Amino acid sequence: MNETPLLEAVDVAKHYPVKKGLIIARKVGAVRAVDGVSFALKRGETLALVGESGCGKSTTARLVMRLIEPSSGKIIFKGEDVTEVGGAKLRALRRNLQIVFQDPYASLNPRLTVADAIAEPMAVHGIGDAASRRERVQELLRLTGLRPFHANRYPHEFSGGQRQRIGIARALAVEPEVVVCDEPVSALDVSIQAQVVNLLGDLQQRLGLSYLFIAHDLAVVKHVADRVAVMYLGRIVEVAPKHELFSNPRHPYTRALLAAIPRPDPSRRGSVRPLGGDLPSPLAVPPGCRFHTRCPVAQPKCKELDPPLREIAPGHTAACHFAEDLPRFNAEAGEGVAPVAARRLAAYAAARAARAKPVVMA
Amino acid sequence: MSATVQDLAAPVPAEAEVAPPRRPGTFARLMREPVAAIAFVLTMVIIVSAVLAPWLAPTDFFHNDLAQAMAVPGTEGLPLGADAQGRDMVTRLLYGMRMTLMMAVAAVALGGVLGAMVGFAAAFYRRADAALMRVMDVMLSFPAILFGLALAAIFGPGLLAVVLATAVATVPLMARIVRGAALGVMAQDYIEAARSTGMSDARIIWRHVAPNCLSSIFVFTTLRFGQVILLGSALSFLGLGAQPPTAELGAMASEGRNFLFFAPHIAIIPSLAIFAIVLVFNLLGDALRDALDPKLRV
Repeated sequence: MNETPLLEAVDVAKHYPVKKGLIIARKVGAVRAVDGVSFALKRGETLALVGESGCGKSTTARLVMRLIEPSSGKIIFKGEDVTEVGGAKLRALRRNLQIVFQDPYASLNPRLTVADAIAEPMAVHGIGDAASRRERVQELLRLTGLRPFHANRYPHEFSGGQRQRIGIARALAVEPEVVVCDEPVSALDVSIQAQVVNLLGDLQQRLGLSYLFIAHDLAVVKHVADRVAVMYLGRIVEVAPKHELFSNPRHPYTRALLAAIPRPDPSRRGSVRPLGGDLPSPLAVPPGCRFHTRCPVAQPKCKELDPPLREIAPGHTAACHFAEDLPRFNAEAGEGVAPVAARRLAAYAAARAARAKPVVMA
Repeated sequence: MSATVQDLAAPVPAEAEVAPPRRPGTFARLMREPVAAIAFVLTMVIIVSAVLAPWLAPTDFFHNDLAQAMAVPGTEGLPLGADAQGRDMVTRLLYGMRMTLMMAVAAVALGGVLGAMVGFAAAFYRRADAALMRVMDVMLSFPAILFGLALAAIFGPGLLAVVLATAVATVPLMARIVRGAALGVMAQDYIEAARSTGMSDARIIWRHVAPNCLSSIFVFTTLRFGQVILLGSALSFLGLGAQPPTAELGAMASEGRNFLFFAPHIAIIPSLAIFAIVLVFNLLGDALRDALDPKLRV
């Protein structure tokens, strides 16, 4: 339990200045896209980052990958501060941190064949010679469930799910330790989602990968994650092991998220009260608790005091003044994951197990 | 609902292991298109005849016979007639194409490469964008003819002045087009993926940005090629370009203008040659752009 986390973010923030004025630009405010996020990713685990769109999930992912520079805070990889490294050290970091994108249609260069796309990261890091890279491409294609002859094709010749596999193969080419998955299945068809999610699970077991898994589909999160961090308006509001979070959420926003999962059950009509209002603008973050404008249990205190993220049970942190006082969460009333979605993933897993030989071999 | 679950649980049928046949290459696909094939063949004919002009020409470049001055096409031994000095038009045409092509290729290559570099730099390094593009705007505000005049004053009238003037006039146009195309490409996820592998900026531009801007670059280059020939002809026409006795299609057309009423062929033949060259290069450029696009590969 006390091992150093593989990747750690400490109070990372990204503020985009908003400028006004034609000649002399004055700073009139800041979009606080990510506003002090801390989390730790342990070796071999999957940490899911969930939240509604615009809450800063993807920005957080790009911050930890150093694709954008944080305004403040620290990023620590293997106990070493990498917030400001450059040159060779940054290249070494890049080798260990790879990303899988949401949109499989935009994430592959249409002018590169699959083999070129997968081999390029290896070439950049000087891994092997041309022949050994070709071999490794074949190995990666097999690993991700593609066929050897796919190597000479161009991305547009593939379906969305296949393209996502190519994207995964490219990310794995340099043998990273952490893979950031930025909504890797959100753009895919439901049946394909299950395949890709299970592929990611297989690869994790086989290669000992750690995932920072960004998603908004809670059914997928429940399937893949070990721990879940819930984000709201640039902050993490609750972190807990998966089962704990789904059965005993301690932040009203987490509860609202879980309650908002659609369920095809007409008898439940009217029993779910959705959150009113919209996500406040990150340009004008509400004072006090940033959730108080929409919180069903907000008290006067919430408007003044920003609740810190505090541990309310071992491994379970929440940023709410009244985390302990919330009533028991009623999972029975359908406030958990939709049974249909769960069954869908379970069925796929069963089918996979039933097939005598494993789908892919390393 | 259970039906859906069962569908998913059904075993996936094994796919055929046989690889499909290899798709035709770029050149094969280019030649499959009739217009493209014709344009390609004609381009080759133009280039080869321009390169081999000294060997193909029926007469010596400096040979003239004033007795044959302004002979009409079809005269014995002069299939395209002769110009005002009695020089064989076939010889003049071959040498003229040679000069015009050299000028246009040099100008488009020089201006295009510089312009593309500026365009990529502006799109890639957003801090430099405004400064670079304002410089381009300043260049854009000078007419090419004015540049030609200034350069002719410095270097003396001649093809060097024409090439430099048209190249300079090409730079800001190319820079604008490349910047626009590159900005669109830069917004794609695969650029971010390239960055996340830690490759150098130059490699990202060369391998990921430039190839995806290729269709805009191709269209503009072939279009500009024709414009540069016309611009060079205009400069020659003003007496700033090719000086007699150099044969250059634009200069030949402008010489022929003096005899338009007595011997129209002296002006018409080089003009038709310009027209043919521009048309053929445009057709080939379009076809080549399509043939190089992997998405259009069937």
